[in-house]
Amino acid sequence: MTHLSYMAVIAFVSICALGVNFAFRLRIARHWRELLLTQFAILVIYLSWDTWAIAKKNWFFDTHQIVNVDVLPKVPLEELLFFIVVPLTIILSYQALLKLTGWEQKGHES
Amino acid sequence: MIYSDIALDAVVVAILVDLFVLRTAMLTRGIYWLTYGLIFPFQLITNWWLTSRNIVQYSPSEIIGRRLAGAPIEDLLFGFSMILLTLSLWDFFTRRAAANKRELNS
Repeated sequence: MTHLSYMAVIAFVSICALGVNFAFRLRIARHWRELLLTQFAILVIYLSWDTWAIAKKNWFFDTHQIVNVDVLPKVPLEELLFFIVVPLTIILSYQALLKLTGWEQKGHES
Repeated sequence: MIYSDIALDAVVVAILVDLFVLRTAMLTRGIYWLTYGLIFPFQLITNWWLTSRNIVQYSPSEIIGRRLAGAPIEDLLFGFSMILLTLSLWDFFTRRAAANKRELNS
């Protein structure tokens, strides 16, 4: 099971994201276009940085604790998933807090 | 200290994008800091998990060496940049979509 150590983080973050989405009835899928645009931009930026940093050996992964599927040269699948689920969780947390606090309810209707 | 430099650059870029490129001004809004405050402890938990088990390791020559919850403090800069950039883009796109919708309806 040790090869799933990093994947456990992905699972934990994904469960948080799903929990927030359903607990606050955010129905984020209605905004799938904006979600896709944001996620794509973040994925490209941070995965590029990651790929470069791994090539430069800024950081490296324990091959016994990952599933060992590379999506880019030496970039583990877990990193790709991380840059998908973490921004999603950030957006959901933001939407949940907007709803919870009622702040900015009129939005930016300028 | 390559990671340190780039992490700092990432924060600067995220701030410039938020304030001057997309003009979302997340940094001036309470909701942004509240969201950051909520996510921050979760970042520390995942950092701790990933570093205490050596799932990810950092080259000592690329970081200044100070650590928080197991991870290099540079990670906080990386996290801050990603949270700010994500919410700035999200706010920009959703606001633009709402404006387009209003235009269609009017």
